Amino acid sequence: MTKTSGAARVIAIASLAGLAAQPALAQTAVTQWDQFAAAGITAAGPAMDELIDTCEPSLDGATILRTVAPSIGIRDSYRLAVSADKTPDLAYTWPAASVLAGYARIGALAPLEDYYEQYGWDGINEFYRGRNSYQGSIYGVPMEQDLMGVYYNPALFEEHGVDVPTSYEEFQAAVDTFKEAGIVPIAFGNRDRWPATNTLSLILGLTAGLETEEEVLFGDEPWTNADFQSAAETFQSWAEDGYFPTGFNGIGYDEANALFLAGRAAMTITGTWVLQDMARGASFDLGVFMLPPIDEDAEPGTMWGEGSQWQVAAIASDDTKDAAAAYIDCLISPESREVWVEKGYLVPIGTTPEELEQWDALPIVKSFYTQGLATADTNFYDLHTTLPESVTQVLYAELQRLISGDTDADEFLTAMQASWEQSIENGERWIP
Amino acid sequence: MLTTRAAYLFILPALTLYLVFVGLPILQVIGFSLFDWDNGAMGEFIGLANYRRMLGDQVFWTALWHNGLWVLLTLAFPLIAGLVLAAILAERNQRLVQWLGAIYFIPRTIPLVVAGIIWGWIYNPIFGLMNYGLETIGLGGLAGAWMAQESTALLSLNVVGAWTFFGFCVVIYLAAIQSIDPSFYEAAEIDGASWWRRFKDLTVPLLRGSSLFLGLYAAIEAMRFFDLVWVTTQGGPGYATEVLTTHIYKTFFLVGDFGYAATLSVVLLIIVLSISAGAFAILREP
Repeated sequence: MTKTSGAARVIAIASLAGLAAQPALAQTAVTQWDQFAAAGITAAGPAMDELIDTCEPSLDGATILRTVAPSIGIRDSYRLAVSADKTPDLAYTWPAASVLAGYARIGALAPLEDYYEQYGWDGINEFYRGRNSYQGSIYGVPMEQDLMGVYYNPALFEEHGVDVPTSYEEFQAAVDTFKEAGIVPIAFGNRDRWPATNTLSLILGLTAGLETEEEVLFGDEPWTNADFQSAAETFQSWAEDGYFPTGFNGIGYDEANALFLAGRAAMTITGTWVLQDMARGASFDLGVFMLPPIDEDAEPGTMWGEGSQWQVAAIASDDTKDAAAAYIDCLISPESREVWVEKGYLVPIGTTPEELEQWDALPIVKSFYTQGLATADTNFYDLHTTLPESVTQVLYAELQRLISGDTDADEFLTAMQASWEQSIENGERWIP
Repeated sequence: MLTTRAAYLFILPALTLYLVFVGLPILQVIGFSLFDWDNGAMGEFIGLANYRRMLGDQVFWTALWHNGLWVLLTLAFPLIAGLVLAAILAERNQRLVQWLGAIYFIPRTIPLVVAGIIWGWIYNPIFGLMNYGLETIGLGGLAGAWMAQESTALLSLNVVGAWTFFGFCVVIYLAAIQSIDPSFYEAAEIDGASWWRRFKDLTVPLLRGSSLFLGLYAAIEAMRFFDLVWVTTQGGPGYATEVLTTHIYKTFFLVGDFGYAATLSVVLLIIVLSISAGAFAILREP
């Protein structure tokens, strides 16, 4: 018997035991929309298939009817479904924070605190509970632990005598070394518009820090503050100083990753959501490090978020909601988390570095999460999964202009502040 | 002879379908534009507030300007080039005309999504054929990130649009030229008129109807196009290739503001209907 099938059996038994007191769920079908494909972002399709097979028998007769939607497009599909009053019973979609709060505001989502209490989902910390809450109720079960880091090519580093940077100055020196050697320092493509928001989020957190971010996101501090100004200027200077390949606004995210994986760039700054593609595509031993603080007063940390979250439709019947909750409980059990890690390259929230050491995870996965979770107290926000969509659309466009030099940090932040004020006036801001 | 009642009965099925699938949805969209929406849920009646908001929406005006510019560029390049090429081809033997007409028409048969992907590769800053070609002929200094710079993005996209539309113009003009009475050209030749004179004073005036049709068709298409922009730039960099349809898409699907998206759609509909009405009136003139 394989290790995984053993884990599957434990999940089934544990789930059956947990459901002993449940009402009969026979004849209940839970429609599920998720984004777990076989490749690309969130490439955990095989793990999802396996876990449905494992969890379904423990649902007291309830069945899961699965639909896979593209990871980016699932937001659009879900919005249409909600507007047509056809919200799927259970969806694994993104983002949380403002967008999830928007659905909660219009009554499209079922509150889940009773299930949190019933099943004891304590592995989900206050930060993530907050990101999935609206006006004191919790509406999502975040699962995927996303972290941002710097993937690097150790062979190129060694060839050019560069050590893994431990300070921002060393990082800049490493970039200069690769530039002089004619190697693209950081593979970066922003044709898809969203990658730059991740990069800015990282720079922002390592310049302004978590506390200042929260003063802006939840308080009255304007976007035009000095720390945000410094972060915007830093990002623009990276673009102007040749940190990225020429024409980065015309290069796709996947193309940039391919550039790195082909050994034509020394680093790429992105997240754990492409771990599978990175691990599978690299022809060299892959390394990862956390970008050191940029501002001398900033704490070490990285951008983190929940990637996506499970959310249950308000229009689902009580039996369906119960079945969905039981199913979620199975999906986030310790045994299932092991399957997500080993088969899906997806590390669920609550997974510890110690667990990763014991499980059959790739070295790059262990390294990424050990480093990223070591700074849990100072890790900071991902802008485009935190801001209201109306602000995100302005951020996408204005960031392209900022890094291409078509605008400056002042104008960029002024545009962001204007959009931010408008969203607050419209009641779109999320506050945990 | 048909009575008026019989005539109405004959058009009733088509009219019913048209009203149900076109008329009613249009009325619905107009209705949507008068309400406040939140994440796909209809809120309170707000009258013309969305229309007032549109007047101060800089992205809307930028997008409208880009649509207008697209019309002008389409009229300037594919139409004129198509006319000149058709006039040259028309004097060649029939077999060559058929072959070349078919070849020129091929891009028109390619869906704009596919054309966008193809040209995305051609313009790609890393491995694009365009930059490679320029470097090969010693013009590497001109290489650039064609669709990634505000200064060149819209023009570069328009080249793709022209590539797909150009062949259509050639075929329409060729058909029209071949319907012109050859004796006009024979008489002009006897009078010693040069090719240019024959083109300017005979071909162009006699193709007025075709030119009007193509021009108005291009104008309507220029207001409606979406797929090419979405697969290549998504309206970027910044707002450099934003057009009305991409602004509507983002407002509807990404922001979830159905009311404002409906408002933009109504305005776009009015523009397209106005152009169509103008086209109808002009083309009906003798």
